[in-house]
This record gives sequence, structure tokens and C-alpha cells, in this order.
Amino acid sequence: MSARTNNTQPWDAVVIGGGVMGCSTALHLAQGGMRVALVDRGPLCREASGVNAGTLTLHMTRAALIPYAMRAWQMWMEAERWLGMGVLATGVPGLTLAFTDAECELVEVRAKARREFGAPIEVISPQRARQIEPGLHPSLLKAGYCEIDGFASAYLTGRAFRHALTRAGVTVFENAPVEAVDSGDGGHAVRLAAAAGLAPLRTRRVVLAGGVWIENMLAWLGVNIPVKVLINQLVVTERIRPVMRTVLSVASGLLSLKQFANGTVLIGGGWQGEGDRERGGVEARPQNLVGNMRLAAYAVPALSEARVARIWLGLEAETADAMPIIGDVPGASHAWVIGSAHSGYTSGPFMGRILAQHILGQTPELPLFDPARLLGMPMPGA
Amino acid sequence: MSAPVPLDLLVIGAGPAGARAALRARSCGLSVLLVDENPGAGGQVWRPLPAAFERRGDAPPSPEARDGDALRHELRRSGVKSLFGHKVWNIGSDLRTDVIGPDGSRSWHPRALLVATGTTERVVPFPGWTLPGVIGLAAATILLKSQNMLPGRRTVVAGSGPLLLAVANGILKAGGEVAAVVDIASRGEWLRTLPSLTGRPDLVWQGMQWQWRLRAAGVPVLYRHAVRAVESAGNGFGVRIGPVDASGRPLERAGVERVWQADAVAVGHGLVPGTDVTRLLRARHRFVRERGGWIAQADADGRTSVPGLYIAGDGAGIAGAAAAGAHGEIAALACALDLGVLDAGTHARLRAPLASQWARSARFGHAMAGLMALRAGAVAGIAADTVVCRCEDVTRAQIDAAVREGARDVNQLKAWTRCGMGPCQGRTCGDVAGALVAAQVGGREAAGFFTGRAPLRPVSLAEVAGEYTYADIPIPKAAPL
Amino acid sequence: MTTDHPSFPIPLRSDAAVQRGAALRFFMDGEPVEAFAGESVAAALMAAGRRTLRHSPRDGAPRGAFCLMGSCQECLVWIGTRKQPSCQVAVAAGLEVESLPWREARA
Repeated sequence: MSARTNNTQPWDAVVIGGGVMGCSTALHLAQGGMRVALVDRGPLCREASGVNAGTLTLHMTRAALIPYAMRAWQMWMEAERWLGMGVLATGVPGLTLAFTDAECELVEVRAKARREFGAPIEVISPQRARQIEPGLHPSLLKAGYCEIDGFASAYLTGRAFRHALTRAGVTVFENAPVEAVDSGDGGHAVRLAAAAGLAPLRTRRVVLAGGVWIENMLAWLGVNIPVKVLINQLVVTERIRPVMRTVLSVASGLLSLKQFANGTVLIGGGWQGEGDRERGGVEARPQNLVGNMRLAAYAVPALSEARVARIWLGLEAETADAMPIIGDVPGASHAWVIGSAHSGYTSGPFMGRILAQHILGQTPELPLFDPARLLGMPMPGA
Repeated sequence: MSAPVPLDLLVIGAGPAGARAALRARSCGLSVLLVDENPGAGGQVWRPLPAAFERRGDAPPSPEARDGDALRHELRRSGVKSLFGHKVWNIGSDLRTDVIGPDGSRSWHPRALLVATGTTERVVPFPGWTLPGVIGLAAATILLKSQNMLPGRRTVVAGSGPLLLAVANGILKAGGEVAAVVDIASRGEWLRTLPSLTGRPDLVWQGMQWQWRLRAAGVPVLYRHAVRAVESAGNGFGVRIGPVDASGRPLERAGVERVWQADAVAVGHGLVPGTDVTRLLRARHRFVRERGGWIAQADADGRTSVPGLYIAGDGAGIAGAAAAGAHGEIAALACALDLGVLDAGTHARLRAPLASQWARSARFGHAMAGLMALRAGAVAGIAADTVVCRCEDVTRAQIDAAVREGARDVNQLKAWTRCGMGPCQGRTCGDVAGALVAAQVGGREAAGFFTGRAPLRPVSLAEVAGEYTYADIPIPKAAPL
Repeated sequence: MTTDHPSFPIPLRSDAAVQRGAALRFFMDGEPVEAFAGESVAAALMAAGRRTLRHSPRDGAPRGAFCLMGSCQECLVWIGTRKQPSCQVAVAAGLEVESLPWREARA
């Protein structure tokens, strides 16, 4: 499909933002019969959706989001079926580890909260944990165990979605930055930067799926909702012999660890680097690199021999109450917003599906997250 | 982690450019640290003999060996603080530099950083280029000059540029056989570099000697030819060689291909400036084919688009070893001026002779760089199932397919194929991969270059983590419930 | 030690211009290798006829030293707990070097 043609017929929907949320929304809208355009200022899934740790875990998902994450987990595992191409999604159990008394307490509290929302998480002894994961540090005190866990190769997401979107008839405009959305009666005009060489996209409906840039996008429609930007550091090692077989985290939430089939190990956990919304991720903070790597090498001592191949940064959005923003843009008509799901990659495909259901006039499988609640809510620490 | 140690100038790379820069900076009164991952100064061109080796009295040192020894001697006498056997693995946007050595990780915070990390070798892939026993031309130079070892009993020497004759002669001198010298360039291209040799009778003489020695040994020199494939064959390799056109594209004509027997192949198609550090620090870059490819944008004194970041030597664009030293000193003077340690008058006075020296030396270096530049036909001629990314076994066919599917720059290519994601961090495949993408997306600028990332060299978790207990791990605020 | 140099043994060392360091013995995958002080592990292994050091990740193709300057990472070996390019490591008496496949097979 030529990326530079522009029909005179207005689109049924234009989705702004080609990450997993935007791609999933666009895909499901098209499958629901709409004529959809998807716009991104860069290539598809090259921001958070392409650079995150790819963890598909329930341990680190907010308790209230467990039912969403479980359904999304299923979608990732079946990606070949509905995307046509997979992201090497692998289902393995997940362990969240406690090395101190305070962490033991956290394991119990977090497991209980998640069980209440349907996650099959039990607290197990260190002996049982080592049966499941022999390479764990001998000083382990306790672990949370969940049989539904896993990971995907996030960097394959763009390729997979591009394939599916093309098949579904979605017109994709990459490297096409949006400057503004002009709303009038009956629809919107999505204005692109001059360099994109495109006339404004006229559309009945607009979906803002801009990740950490949702705050800027809502401002186009005159809505002021602050979105905090987290700058997450990630480290990947060279290929090493198999040293672990589950997805690991620490009760404090500050470690995510997985080994891919190709032998590389991805180390994450939300340790913060330097950067901002305007410049993106700039650089890692050395003491946070050291801390993250120490935690990883502590949890799985065999990792200390692994060599680091690459360190990078990804931007993650967080709202004032740390819950997603998915639903009608307050005060606007035929405008929706989706994002900030915290562990958004995990739940992304499902969130896009239920928003699409809502936009198509159906009852979404699970409730959305009303953006209006965030109006006037102060950002903690601001 | 201990606090970073402040200093005026940190120089990365102790080849001719970096070492001379460090010496000049010190003589201007700057506090200087010179860091190199090799065991001694000299870079590639003046690589020292291993410390345990001794030159035999009856074997006079080559001019290069003499220059290298003189430089190392001057460094030792000068009191420039040098850290050899140390890897720079990370640099912050404030130029804080993290270094790993045998005794762990340390940091410095210089006011200025001078990058003189030289080049890496480029090899245009062909079937069999990954077989053990096929090494680079620069690699063969290191083997011959430093380790005093032959690549094999009988070696095919192939590729482009001045290293061809140097390696072939080095092999003969060391008592080995050269099956053939295979040069993409034509005799005419070489003759056209003669004007650049004005004022360098030593190089003219050396070139003639090399030609004579090859002729005397009966070594065939095949101009406008390239290696098409290397196959294991009995007790050696069968090296398939055929003619190419001026763009390096293989010419298909019946009966022109010949198979040569050898047990080693030394092949190299030019040098690529090392931009790891400048890409990491997000300096602006430009693509200049005749200088080796992507280089950081810089003025004549090595100032990049990042304040406090200077580049010098071949890493700033290939100009040859003789020019590198002068360039390093010019950059050091610029740094001293910018740090307020030199006044403008003194700076200009000291700079003038170095600038003339650079101009004289660079003429030859530029001519050689032209011979070594990557040829479009050579890239076009890469066979589909040839591995391009050695680390990840990504073939040309896989690269082309990804670009057709929508990967329009090398970073998207990397995400979709893993090309460039391996331990070499894209140094070996990056230039050729960029050329392959460029052919489909309308140019090298569009194809771009791999985004620079830490670590600059692979480092183990143990090296970064150091000694610690669980309580030493600085735990930030825990995740929300 | 497994040698895979097709014409081994052939002398690859050229001593016309230099006197090497003292003769010594190190170990590669448990087997003794004769070398001289000052040589790199990669060069000493090449001289001993051992060229294949590992296998490529997807195709399992044999790989060995290529750039000899610490950049390409093809000549990686294990020395104790550190994985290093063997072209950047000097031989030492008694040094125990393990190839990647050897260490992995015994893990």
C-alpha cells in the first residue's frame, strides 16, 4: 500500500501512535469493518513497544490489571493465529524472589492481592523454588510462584504487526509526525508535519495511542492530563549456556530476568536512567547499571560470567493513579485515548481489542479505564 | 563505585594520533590520561613487539618499527599517565568515562575527551569468508609484524589498498609462500596515485622494492580480480578467483574463474573509521565514502558537534598514519586553546607547522583511502546466501527481505533480523549492511548507522558489579502494588 | 589437541628477525600447547594447528580468529571466569584456556 497516497474520502478512524496499543486498536477496528489509517512519527513499534523487556508476567502487573494481563497473555501465545507472525512468545512459569525478611513480607502481600484478581500465584519454599529453578542464589528465603508467565521478543513486534495490519487493510503512515488535530462537527483533521508531504487526514474518529506522548496529544484536543515519564534501563547479555528457565523477578519489583531461546539474557526492573519526553532516553545512570547488574548476578550467580552486549533505554508512561488511561477523551466527541497501562506491553493486545469493541459500539469484554477520573488529579510528588 | 577522578583531557587510543595528542597536551600543561586496550602504545601501524620478544641484532628494524619505538620511548620519558590493557566501556553525556581493567572499574571526569581509536577492517563477504584460516589483511599484518608468524604455508592475499603489497611482502620475508595477490583495483588506478607520492621518495622506493620481490618470487598479481569463494579442499582451501569491473562487480564470462590452492587467505577491502564513541555521545555524523564511510562531523582541528569532544587520526576520516600524528597534535592544541590554557597567538604559532605537516602527509593517505573505498559493485555482487553479520549468521538474502518488508534503515534492520546485535556490536558488518540497505532505500544517509550504545566493548556483569553483598545493592523505591 | 589446520604440522613461526620469549606450555581444552612468552593465545593456537575455536550460533559453522585486534569477537575463549578474545590474551605458563564449546559441553 503506498504510504504517500491520500484519499478524499474521510477515514472511519485514524489511530495516532503505532506502538502495541495503537496497532492492536487499529487492527481490531479494521477487522470490525472500519476504514482505518495508522500514523506514527517513526517506524512501527520502535518506541517502548519495541525496546521493552518483553516480560509477560502477572507478578509485576498491577493487581487490578491481572484479568486483563491474563487474557493478553493468551493473545501473545497465539500471536501466529491472529497476527500471522509471532514474537517468539514463550510461556514459562514465573518466580518472584525474596532474599530478606522485608521481601518475604512483600511476596506474601503481593501474591494475596493478585490471587484476589484471579492470578494463580502461590507462595513456595526456597527448596521448591530451587527445584523449579536450580540456578537460584542459595540465600533465597521465599518465592512467589505463578505458572502463567513468560516473555516475548519485543523487537519483533513491529514486523509482526506490520504484517497483520497490511493484511487487514489498514493504511500505515510511518515517519509521518502529527502536529495537531483540528476537531469540528462530524470529525477531525489530523495535521501532519510538512516534511511528511501529506495533506491533513480527515476522519470521523481519532484514537490517541501515543505512549508517553499522550499528554501532548490530549493537549491537541484541549485536555490537560499529566503523564509521568519513566526512563527504564535495559541490559542484554551475549548468548550464554542455559542458566535459567523461568521468568524471575524480585519482590521489590526491581528485577526482571529472562533467558531467551537464543541464549541471551535480558535484565530489567525499571532502574531509571536519564532522559525525558523531548529527547527520549539519553543515557544510563552508572550507579543504577551497577545496582541492576548486581541484583541480577545475585539472583542467578551463573550470570556473573555473562558479558553485556548492549544497554539501552525505554520510555514508559504512568498516570497519577498508576492505572491505565483507556476510553473517551473527556469533553471531545469521537475521540479516544489508550495507554499508560504500566506493563503495557503485557496487556497491550487485549487493551487494543476492548477499546476497539467500545468504539465499534459493542460492550467491551472488560471495563475500560475512564480518562475523566484523571482530570484535576494531582501527580504524586509533583 | 568510587567517585570519578577529575582531569583536563582523557585520550582514548594510543596510536600515532592519540599518543602524539597526549604528548602535546601535556607539554601545554594539561593533565592528561591516555587509555588503550592494547598492552602498549602504537596502535595498529606501530604495534609494538611483545615485551618478551627481542629484535635480533642482525635484523635492522623497519622505519615503522623505529618510529613506533621512538614514540613509546618518548611517552615513557614524558610522564604522560598511560593506562594500557584497559577498556573504556561507557561514557556519559558529561564526558564522565568508565574504564575497566584487571583491577576493576574506575571512572574519570575529564573536561575534554579526545577520541583517536582509529579504524577497523572491512571485508566484503563471500562464501567461505567465515572459515577458520581466512583472516583480515590488517589481521595478517598484526600476525606478521607483532607475532612474527605466518597465516599459513601458502596464502592468497586479496582485497584492496596498500596493505595488499605490505602483507604479501611480509609473508615472503618471513619465509612463506604467496599463492597470488588479488587486487580489485587496476594497475591504472595505482598509477594515478603516483602524484600523491611527491616528496615521499621513501614510499616510492618501498613500493618498487615490493613489486620486484613479488616478481622475483614468481607471485602472480591479478589486478581487477576478487575472491569469489573459499571452499575447504583436501589439505587446504580452494580459493575461487575471478575478474571484476571497476565497481567491483564480478564479471560473468565463461572460463574466467580459476581456483587457487592455499591453506590461508588474508583478505581486506579497506578500513572503516571507528565511530563507537562519537555515536554513543550522539555527535553529528556525515558519510564520506573516500574517507572510509561514516565519520563524526568535525572542523579541521577535530572539534565535533559535542562541546569538549575531539577526534583525530584515521577515526576522523582516513588520512594515513603519517597525517594522524599531526592531526592528534592539532586537536590537542585546539583543546588547550578551548580550555583557556593557551592564548590565541601561541596556539596559531604552534599550529601552523603541524597544519603544513598534515597537509603534506594526508595527500598520500587520501590517495590510499580512495583505493580502499567500498565499491558499489562489490556489494551488489554479494551472493544471496552469504553470511553478512558473522555474529548472528544473518545472510544477504535475509537482509534484503527485511528491507523489502519495510525495514528502511539499519536500526530497523537490526530489530527485525538481529544483524548487528551480536558481540562485535556491529563493527564487522555495519558498513556492508549499511551499503546493502542503502542500495534499496536511496543512499547511505537514508540507511543511517547503528545507534551508539554502551558498552563500547563487551564487559562481564562481574566486571561491572565488582565485589558486593546484597546490602550493597542500592534499592530505589519499590514498584506500586 | 584437535588440530584442524589442513597442512599441520607446518612451522608458521618466523624467527628470522626476532628472538621469542622463553618457551612455555599452556593448556587448551585440557591438552598441552607449546608456545613462547609474548605470543597471544590466538596466535599460539594457530601455530599449533588449532584454528577452529567455536561455532556460529544459528548455522553451527566453524569459526576462529579473524581480525586479531579485539574487535570481531570471533576468537573468544574462556580463561577462568572471564570470556575474552584470545587475540588479546598473552600466553602464560600453565594458563588454562577453554574453548566455548568445550566449557559448554562440561557445564
